[in-house]
Amino acid sequence: MRRRFGIAAVLLCALGLGLSACGGDGRPTVLVAAAADLRFVFEAMEPQFEERCECNLKFSFGSSGTLATQISNGLKVDIFASADSSYVEQLEKAGLTLPETRQLYAVGRIVIAVPADSELEVETLADLRETNVRRIAIASPDHAPYGRAARQALENAGVWEAVVDRLVLGENASLATQFVETGNVDAGIVPLSLAISREEYLRAVLVDESLHEPLRQEVAVLKSSRHPDKATAFLAYVNGEGRSLMRQYGFVLPGESLQR
Amino acid sequence: MIPLAIDAEDIRVSLQVAGLATLICIVVGLPMAWLLARHQFRGRTLVEVVVTLPLLLPPTVVGYYLLRALGAGSPFGRFLEDELGIRIVFTWYGAALAAAIVSIPFLIRTSQSAFEAVDSELEGVAQTLGRSRIGVFRAITFPLAARGIAAGVALAFARAIGEFGATVVVAGNIPGRTRTLPISVYDAVQAGDIDRANLTALLLVGISVASLLVFSWSLLLVRR
Repeated sequence: MRRRFGIAAVLLCALGLGLSACGGDGRPTVLVAAAADLRFVFEAMEPQFEERCECNLKFSFGSSGTLATQISNGLKVDIFASADSSYVEQLEKAGLTLPETRQLYAVGRIVIAVPADSELEVETLADLRETNVRRIAIASPDHAPYGRAARQALENAGVWEAVVDRLVLGENASLATQFVETGNVDAGIVPLSLAISREEYLRAVLVDESLHEPLRQEVAVLKSSRHPDKATAFLAYVNGEGRSLMRQYGFVLPGESLQR
Repeated sequence: MIPLAIDAEDIRVSLQVAGLATLICIVVGLPMAWLLARHQFRGRTLVEVVVTLPLLLPPTVVGYYLLRALGAGSPFGRFLEDELGIRIVFTWYGAALAAAIVSIPFLIRTSQSAFEAVDSELEGVAQTLGRSRIGVFRAITFPLAARGIAAGVALAFARAIGEFGATVVVAGNIPGRTRTLPISVYDAVQAGDIDRANLTALLLVGISVASLLVFSWSLLLVRR
């Protein structure tokens, strides 16, 4: 009995180790900690860039604030792509980034979104006051730049007080978008990039950009990067060849205005 | 290659994490269970409270303390990294450690009962017949308690493979490294990837049911 027990334990370990050995194809992996609004556009860039750089791209998506905290706590990734500039700034001050790699790659826009089959006619933020808009999803303003922009827009439009009790906070922008998409909330204020990627499930109207501080999305290679050359190449790709994809997914590019 | 909605790497990471966590549970938990079953000592209640606490504590709290204790912000975490080159947080070792802490009460409590159910007179007889204490454990205690221990191992493994809260805090969500099956479900929900969410969730249900079957089967044979 004792022996059988030991064999089971050994098998369990062998399975784990064996599986870990067969993973990977020898190509270096570039890890990107990326803001949730980048999920679909970065996934769209993945195949072409991977072939180009002969590396594997892996993404860890989350709110910019969560990712920045994880990086300060020791998360080792090659690239941090934030949804604003403050978190890149914060990591730069902590000496965790390669400052010369820091760059602006997009400006984000927010939209008011409702489920595709919704009967609500929401055109402006003021329409969110209507009593039939019972629940409104935004990303958590404390650590998600898109949530912060949503709060600023609601405040500047003078509707914050009216809707604050109806807010449902998503841990990050893609979770907030999911709440809308699945009809679990009546409306949401979410990134344009996610609304475009999920347009089958959502109807969206742009929020006037003067209502919130610009979401100046910055990116940097981290000092702990094991493949800084490949990481820098990805940044060059995002800000070069990848621009057409960025545009297509609803980002405003540095020096351009919204192309929709 | 056929595109499968479930990510094979998530399965691999989950097996690695739950495998190592179960091993930690066995190595740390079994002696602890035996100690609690067979010995009276000062502070025994305190030990029982400490080893049972993870059962009731929110896993995020466990993850938070691990992050504080072992992260880059802590002196101990920096010592591990700078002096020994060991990094725990945001690696699969961290995920395994988190899963082990959350799972260990299942192993200890179940094995403790198994040890307690062994007739201590049998152990006494074996000892008077000249067996050493370790000899008694090998010849009598362990074989008689083995089924109960196996039940505890099955429960601990199931709990470890299902761990989410502590893992996501201490190890994050890195595909191929720390993204276990439960974290993959959460990630798939955010991505609106219903196929991946469905299949991964189903697989987890299957694993849990299988572990519970092993658990019941082990206990059934104990009662006989």
